[in-house]
Amino acid sequence: MTSFSAIKKWLISMGSTPFLYKWISRFLPILMTICFIFLSISLFWGLLLAPTDYKQGDVYRIIFMHVPSSILSQSIFIFMSIVGGICLIWRAKVAGMLLRCSAPIGASFTFLALVSGAIWGKPTWGTWWVWDARLTSTLILFFIYIAIIGIYSSVDEKQKGDRSAALLSLVGVVMIPIIKKSVDWWQTLHQPSTFSFTKSPSMPPDMYLPLLACVLSFYFLFVVLLLLRLRTEIALREDRKNWFKREVLKK
Amino acid sequence: MKNSTLNSLLYLVLKRDLVLSFRRTSTYLTPLAFFLVVLTFFPLALGTDSNFLQRIGPGVLWISALLSSLLAVEGIFNDDYKDGTLDQMFLSNQPAFLLIIAKVFSHWLITGAPILLASIIGVIFFFLPSSAVFPLLLSLTLGTLILSFFSAFGGAISLGKGAILSAIIVLPFSVPILLLGTSVTNAALNGDDYSGFLFFLGALFVLVMPFISLATAEALRINND
Repeated sequence: MTSFSAIKKWLISMGSTPFLYKWISRFLPILMTICFIFLSISLFWGLLLAPTDYKQGDVYRIIFMHVPSSILSQSIFIFMSIVGGICLIWRAKVAGMLLRCSAPIGASFTFLALVSGAIWGKPTWGTWWVWDARLTSTLILFFIYIAIIGIYSSVDEKQKGDRSAALLSLVGVVMIPIIKKSVDWWQTLHQPSTFSFTKSPSMPPDMYLPLLACVLSFYFLFVVLLLLRLRTEIALREDRKNWFKREVLKK
Repeated sequence: MKNSTLNSLLYLVLKRDLVLSFRRTSTYLTPLAFFLVVLTFFPLALGTDSNFLQRIGPGVLWISALLSSLLAVEGIFNDDYKDGTLDQMFLSNQPAFLLIIAKVFSHWLITGAPILLASIIGVIFFFLPSSAVFPLLLSLTLGTLILSFFSAFGGAISLGKGAILSAIIVLPFSVPILLLGTSVTNAALNGDDYSGFLFFLGALFVLVMPFISLATAEALRINND
């Protein structure tokens, strides 16, 4: 129980922007280094060491970019709706900042998933784009990200924009499964998901272990990018506060 | 509004909004005219081959209905926001989402219902068989009702910021309506059973009505304080 209350205390102290700013400034260089090493190892493993696919050849290696970014595009949305809920219910300032900082990252990963999918589709399916269920619903997810970015960037008052974006992300998280289901009724060309919690993977371990490493390192990359943006966001919002002036002038 | 019951509350808001809209012709005429103009432009751009027009007809009707209902998004809350009626509504101590349901319904009567009537002209324009009229009207009724709720949400969350932003917000969420609606009409055209799609559209309406009106109330509270 003591460890639980310690975590709770730490989380609450993270709600204070000066504390959070100092914490990020202290740990971000270490985290960035670890992330860089982890990402390089898993990409090296996937792009160079993993065996060549007998059907698709070396083209399949784009999976090590494509699958992590499409997994992240959905995970980041769920993350955004959770922090959005926290922002609306408890009016937590940092939750709103987290939402605002993760939306562009999520949109970028969705874009990356779409582009890498197109590049993969050209040699294997013969076209850059098909109106397939998964591609279409990813495209719509991208539009919803754009809508969220549009709503908070159109509001001058930061807190108001945060809450509007939070509300939109909550509506989005309810609507996305419905959009996916309705789009699913089309003919589906896309292969089924690579990872599943209920089935053992159909790939050999030589391939799915580097893929798993890539997914995890992309998650790590998201955390690092999020902290980087969060630090800038705090600096942008609190540049008139005394603690911030002291923090900057200290060095 | 001290002794008001639920029905009289809904009735009062509905009556007020309808009277206000009918005093200004443009509120109900603009979406209708827009719908007809867009419908006219498809044969002009894509050719007048009757088989082709019949095939694209349901989709064209649905897209036009979608766009013209977006045209009226700003009208739902902007005037009330500017003249302070919205403040009075929140001060009136009545459940905000009920007021919103009444407002959405009046918005639908002003913009959605004329489109329903005009879609019969669309049936003639696109050479759709008479057997498709009933499923088309039924699905458009449900679809435009759901769209009105989404438009209200889009209008509330982008209050005072212009229609383009609310269009970007509303359009991605209206994908299921578009897919289900065109499926109903296409199934009817092919002589298949369309009731399944219609039931899904109805289920979507039942889900959207309480959920989106609550979200709209929250969006108005955020933008109105």
